[in-house]
Amino acid sequence: MDKLKIIDIDKEIFSCSVPLENAQKAYILNGVLMSGKEDIRGVQMVSEKKSITIETKENNFLQIINVRENAVLRRGEEYCIEIKANALKEEKSTIVLCSHTLGDERFSTKGKINIVVEKECGLELIIMQNENGVSVHNVDIDIEIKYGGSLKLNIITLHGGHITNTINSVLLEEQAECDLGGLYLSDREQVINTNVNVLHKVGGGISRQLFKGILDGNSKTNFNGKIVVSPQAQKTEAYQANNNLLISDRAKATSNPHLIIYADDVKCSHGATIGTIGDEELFYMRSRGISLYEAKLLQQQAFAGAVLEKIEKKELKERLIGLVERRLRGESIHCQGCSTRCC
Amino acid sequence: MKNLLEIKDLHAKIGDKEILKGINLTIKQGEVHAIMGRNGSGKSTLSAVLAGNENYIVTQGSIQFTDQKGTTYNLLEMSPEERSWAGVFLGFQYPVEIPGVTNVNFMKTAVNEHRKQRGLEALSAAEYLKMMREKMAIVQMDPSFSSRGVNVGFSGGEKKRNEIFQMAMLNPSLAILDETDSGLDVDALRIVANGVNRLKTKDNAFVVITHYQRLLDYIVPDIVHILYKGKIVKTAGKELALEIEQKGYDEFE
Repeated sequence: MDKLKIIDIDKEIFSCSVPLENAQKAYILNGVLMSGKEDIRGVQMVSEKKSITIETKENNFLQIINVRENAVLRRGEEYCIEIKANALKEEKSTIVLCSHTLGDERFSTKGKINIVVEKECGLELIIMQNENGVSVHNVDIDIEIKYGGSLKLNIITLHGGHITNTINSVLLEEQAECDLGGLYLSDREQVINTNVNVLHKVGGGISRQLFKGILDGNSKTNFNGKIVVSPQAQKTEAYQANNNLLISDRAKATSNPHLIIYADDVKCSHGATIGTIGDEELFYMRSRGISLYEAKLLQQQAFAGAVLEKIEKKELKERLIGLVERRLRGESIHCQGCSTRCC
Repeated sequence: MKNLLEIKDLHAKIGDKEILKGINLTIKQGEVHAIMGRNGSGKSTLSAVLAGNENYIVTQGSIQFTDQKGTTYNLLEMSPEERSWAGVFLGFQYPVEIPGVTNVNFMKTAVNEHRKQRGLEALSAAEYLKMMREKMAIVQMDPSFSSRGVNVGFSGGEKKRNEIFQMAMLNPSLAILDETDSGLDVDALRIVANGVNRLKTKDNAFVVITHYQRLLDYIVPDIVHILYKGKIVKTAGKELALEIEQKGYDEFE
């Protein structure tokens, strides 16, 4: 087991000033857990080589800053975070995982996040990705939800080079709930892929997917979403939506929705759209004195809003809405006080 | 009184179809003009061209607009937002729904863009709220509408009240109201018309576009124009509206 290193956050380059009250902070650098200034009270974090285990208790609010840099990372090196959600739904914990890169070198990382939601337990996980524009980052998120468990996961991808987020979620036991959301903002030559596989093994479960993308420049995004309802998974509810907004006529969005249903008493739906900002809406806004630039921005914010609104922690939601606005305005989106060179 | 708007020999088309075929119209400060005509006579095209809708192409003619400071603009060279900043407002026949953009965010952005153009600072949240409540009261709009998506799920009457509310917020010198009466019951019509009347001053002007005389009972025009096949074929006082109500448009065939 690695000894936890105490680092002086004030001197550290990835100090984070995001005002998340009561949030306990932990730092991961190249897959290794560094402790924060405060103890990680109530949360058990164990760091073994490059595997970090987190076990949540009642009402934990944990912010994990996950930084990768090229200096020590070899190509293809991995990080692994195991999360065991052990707090009851009513007292569920929130984990924010901020994914950053240091420097602007090109390198490649694989990440693995395993989540187990225990019986009647709940977890809200928010993953924010704000990385340099050349690196490759593949994240595999494996989820298992036990009886009556509930998971809410939202991935907000603000910036990155070539990002692939793959979610495999299994509703293992009855009455499980899985709410997956994602907002990907792509620009320039970026590529953002989202693969979602939801498997309803047994009945009575609910899964929802809402993934939205705003594409600018020459960027490309791919969404592959799959829902599988097993023969014994009667009374399942499973919904999937993927909506893409093209800002540039060179951007390319691909959407592949799949729905595979073996049970006959289920409620399932899927929908995929790829579109541009409506001329009528733009003219209406401009006729009120909102410039074309601001009108487009308002439309993009409105589009993104549906995903951001799903985030339950208010201060976090507001922070992310602000970051998304700055990102859409093309401003630098380093969080205040942080010197990670995300983009 | 000064001329606010001077339209000369205006021709406009959509696609290959010429809709406006030589409109001449002068509007002075303090005046209320009504433009009446059948469906397809060009009423909505005229309002769309005035607001700068790019779907319509002006092939001939000119539109001059003079703002409150006395600066004269060639309206046809301006973008829709520039026209708004100069003081032109179009009340839409079919107000557009914008899901996800709240009414409050929409109007706050609009008001602050207007202020920016005049070199003023953006309103604080409290100042904006106060102004919004005042103006909403003019059209008896419930403050709860402010947090809803622009026109989303609004009834016909609520949409039109929202148009007049927006007009009150932006305080234009020339407001063109395109069939504001369509889809309104008598109560909503009265509320909307009262709103317009309260906003009328000696410095601004209104162009009310309508099929029916009914609205003109509430918003009394100084001048009534009949638009027929893309041209103004008759101009007279408010009695013309009553005449149309009785005789229809047949005499212009």
